[in-house]
Amino acid sequence: MQFGLFFELSVPRPFTGDGERRVFENALEQARIADALGFDSLWVVEHHFLEEYSHSSAPELFLTACAMQTQRIRLGHGAVVCVPQMNHPVRVAERAAVLDILSGGRLEFGTARSSTWTELGGFQVDPDVTKKTWDEYVRVLPKMWTQERFAYDGVSFSMPERAIIPKPLQKPHPPLWVTVTSPGTELDAADRGIGCLGVAAASYAEQERRTKEYRRRIQLCDPVGAVNDSVATLNFMYCHEDAKRAAATGLLLLGIFALLNAHLLSTREAYPTRAYQSLGNLAPRPSSDDGSPGDRRAVPEGIAIGTPEQIVAAVKRWESIGVDSINFIVNASEVVPQAQVLESLRLFAREVMPRFR
Amino acid sequence: MLIGTANIDDLAARAPVIESFDGEPVVCEQAEVLQVAYEIATAQREAMLPPALHPTDPPIVTWLFYRCPVSPWGSYAMAQTRIECRSGLRLRGFLVSAVVDNPSAAAALGARWGFPTQPGRIELQRRYDATRAAVVAHGRTILDVIIADPDPLSAADVQYVANVNLAHTPRGLRLVQVEPRCQIQRVERGRPRVLAFDGAAWGDARVQPVYPVAATLAVADITIPRVRFVCRPDVLAFDGTEAV
Repeated sequence: MQFGLFFELSVPRPFTGDGERRVFENALEQARIADALGFDSLWVVEHHFLEEYSHSSAPELFLTACAMQTQRIRLGHGAVVCVPQMNHPVRVAERAAVLDILSGGRLEFGTARSSTWTELGGFQVDPDVTKKTWDEYVRVLPKMWTQERFAYDGVSFSMPERAIIPKPLQKPHPPLWVTVTSPGTELDAADRGIGCLGVAAASYAEQERRTKEYRRRIQLCDPVGAVNDSVATLNFMYCHEDAKRAAATGLLLLGIFALLNAHLLSTREAYPTRAYQSLGNLAPRPSSDDGSPGDRRAVPEGIAIGTPEQIVAAVKRWESIGVDSINFIVNASEVVPQAQVLESLRLFAREVMPRFR
Repeated sequence: MLIGTANIDDLAARAPVIESFDGEPVVCEQAEVLQVAYEIATAQREAMLPPALHPTDPPIVTWLFYRCPVSPWGSYAMAQTRIECRSGLRLRGFLVSAVVDNPSAAAALGARWGFPTQPGRIELQRRYDATRAAVVAHGRTILDVIIADPDPLSAADVQYVANVNLAHTPRGLRLVQVEPRCQIQRVERGRPRVLAFDGAAWGDARVQPVYPVAATLAVADITIPRVRFVCRPDVLAFDGTEAV
């Protein structure tokens, strides 16, 4: 089992003073500590216009800073939005290659297509076509990274022959992933031979179903590049020796993240389309979706909030259903003081991590 | 996070009265359901909602039309102006006001589910190339919208968000959660373009449409069930929600 951190870079209101800078600096410190403690990876999202929820609009820059300040932890683009209005595929390939070189070959490359109307509408992207452009990107990126010269005549873009440089340090190219929010995307990942980067907290049963189907299907894949057959899930972590304190702080983190996430304007809500079958909620689901306007929650199953022993039990369960790695959100909107976040990371590394190595 | 800042007393002045939450669900078969979503000006998004609710980013208005050939009150049409919002974790539409063309239906919708209504005429012209919907009240066109290039969708692609209607209820002034269920038989999506909208005539001049999102036109059986939840308008839903 591998462990990673997952950064949304959420910033609390009001947006005054040095709030944004503090969030970025705290995240960089968490990255350095995680690197030293033996965490395997850190992932950084790409979002645009999502005030409070995520100010991570230039993840390649943040990841470059991480690369410069860490030694061994792998760096996850989690994930690049594969629509041409936001990222031209050539620029995507170029930036990723540079980051791979600068990090000494530590890049993990996630792909996505955005799930909010706020983002798609802001860039005037047609939500109906984002699956198509994503599919085109994941086919061409490995070619851009491996072919000496590249030409293309496609749907979302075309180009005459050019040398796309530099090339990534990892050969043939960095591991490819796709973010999995809604059920079914794991099949897209399997069919293309790319990793399954879960970014929505799923129940044990749902994750087990997805993982089994992914493992079965990837055996028959038509790979777009080098096969990455890994399954990662998203989780939330607050580790403390005292169970009550762990739950109190962890639920604060979970609650604020769930609220910020629920307040996003999903594409499905605003723009009905076959291309978006779910709202894209990343937080564990409310206890009853058709219930009252609000409900308070206990720690949902499988969430890494608790004492080291409680977290070990949850991780063992994830391991037993075939998950290869767990990426943790460790703060949201700075509700957990940085010192407590770091102490939680240290306790996890000391008491939980060795049980899986 | 953003929270509504509207003056509740101002909103209460036009809230209808619900004497009782009792009553059976109402079914309107073979209704036409038109929903138009438009981004609205951001500057006063918090001021349009009571403190129980959270605005979306960007703020969105939905105009929701029902044309019901059959109902307990006879044939009627209703057009609503709603602001998309959040109540706790839930997706909701805060009702600014509605126009209803049948006095019996208007009285029942107000008295049972807290719809603030005014009388008016609702036109819905469906064509293969475009649909045009208009609302006329007090002799003036207060909404005129055209939906071009309709394309079929499946029923599963569409969702309708529940209303929260401010009303004077037996429990006091409350946001009444109204959750119509639409069993869709067919639906299509088109590109909306607003030709006219008079926010003041609907009760809030700050609602200014600025950017089109999408529109859907469906044929569906609509069931308006009993009210299950209400919420105090002055506190967040986590603290203010009450089961009925």
